[in-house]
Amino acid sequence: MSAVTIRACSIARRFGEEQAVAGVDLEIRAGEIVALVGLNGAGKSTLMRLLLGMLRPDSGTAEVLGCRVAHADRAVWSRVGHLIETPARYGELTVAESVYSAARLQGWDRRSARVAAAAIIADLELDHWQHRATRTLSLGNLQRLGIAMALVHQPEVLILDEPSNSLDPLGVVRVREMLRTRASEDGASVLVSSQHLDEVARMADRIVLLHHGRILGGLDPHGVDVERQFFQRLLEADRAKQRAQ
Amino acid sequence: MNAALEFELLKARRAGVFRWGAVVVAVGVPALSTAFFELVRLGGNSPSAAKAATMITELSLAGLLGTAGQVLSVAILMTAGIAASWSFGREFVDDALPALFAIATPRSSVAAAKFVVLAGWTLLTVVSTVILTVIGGLLVGLDLDAAALQMASRVAATGLLGAALAAPMALVSSWRRGYLPGFVALVAVVILTQIVTAVGGGAWFPYAAPALWMGMGGAAAASEVSVIQLLQPLPVAGMAVVATLSWWRRAEAR
Repeated sequence: MSAVTIRACSIARRFGEEQAVAGVDLEIRAGEIVALVGLNGAGKSTLMRLLLGMLRPDSGTAEVLGCRVAHADRAVWSRVGHLIETPARYGELTVAESVYSAARLQGWDRRSARVAAAAIIADLELDHWQHRATRTLSLGNLQRLGIAMALVHQPEVLILDEPSNSLDPLGVVRVREMLRTRASEDGASVLVSSQHLDEVARMADRIVLLHHGRILGGLDPHGVDVERQFFQRLLEADRAKQRAQ
Repeated sequence: MNAALEFELLKARRAGVFRWGAVVVAVGVPALSTAFFELVRLGGNSPSAAKAATMITELSLAGLLGTAGQVLSVAILMTAGIAASWSFGREFVDDALPALFAIATPRSSVAAAKFVVLAGWTLLTVVSTVILTVIGGLLVGLDLDAAALQMASRVAATGLLGAALAAPMALVSSWRRGYLPGFVALVAVVILTQIVTAVGGGAWFPYAAPALWMGMGGAAAASEVSVIQLLQPLPVAGMAVVATLSWWRRAEAR
């Protein structure tokens, strides 16, 4: 069995009165694609931010590539790629400069960064816009740019918050295939969140349902009707909560 | 070159705030000072000439540079303060902060690179201002003598000390997550400086000392500014840089 590369142990985080993540346990292995699904405000983005060290947990721990997130150094983070909510908007930089800079900040030398940036720009069909300032891009192309910046350094761990947001159908397919290739051929671990159940069913090995900051369990991505499973589980959880009150 | 520094230089090269800030100071200050100087030298009786005469101690290149130094002490604080606020605050306004987490380059290195770029921009701007003021003086027929060279060094020192006082705006912009709080802090500091100077506490107020030393309060007040008072901007800048780097190390991307 392949190694666990992302692990959350009883991790919790509160914002004022709001318990955003309430004691989540999660493990993702190398080569696995796991999709986090849930309603708006379920805690998906907060959980991802906790796994990336963007937020400190109130309790519990997060580990990436065998290292506690709180102690992760540049050697660990150079093997991680992420896109949380919106891509960075340095509107004055061109597409090529943005992707090149992302590779440089991940520790790549200038020449390798240039080559890697050109390759991922071509893979995501951003060539036509590569010399344009990013402020002129459409939302869809801005999303492609964010994905390019997350993938350019060939990370072993990928955490992507709603990667198919604003993408056209061709972009959705291209990103899906790219992530599947990274996982199956390069052994990358991929954690994605999404609102599109059909899309995650096509992409993910496992689907994890998050509701009110807690994991309700998994959905079968190969099942007959993922949407039906999704609402059934939410309904059961809400009824159980009402009974408990 | 360090990746963070390369990244910040790339952004600064494209940023209007750096480009236009440098032009406003390096061209505007010599032009304005030379205009004031000529107004006084040509002996006009207008209210503007009378006002300009209060800034000019002598009708020489040293006098022209002294005038430029007084204008520069305010102009560099304003432009460097705006540039520092923008440079740090834009990471929040442009939703770029999350992208600076969980990467091989620490956030504190990115913040340090911003300070290096700001310092380089300041040095270039101040040196250009001094050189263009000297050129302006030579063009209107003034002589470059030892007193002028001494005053040129004084103007450069005033400019660099004034720009150092912009460092706290980087802290405010980081702490309050946007460039507008930095701009507000800058305006507040300028108003406070006026009040402190008016009540006679200027030389012991870091934001007033360089301008007073440059002659903003007259020759007598300038001669009373001690070295310790003059160098107050350095610990202010140092503490702001340390606090800003620490903030960037510990902050969350909420």
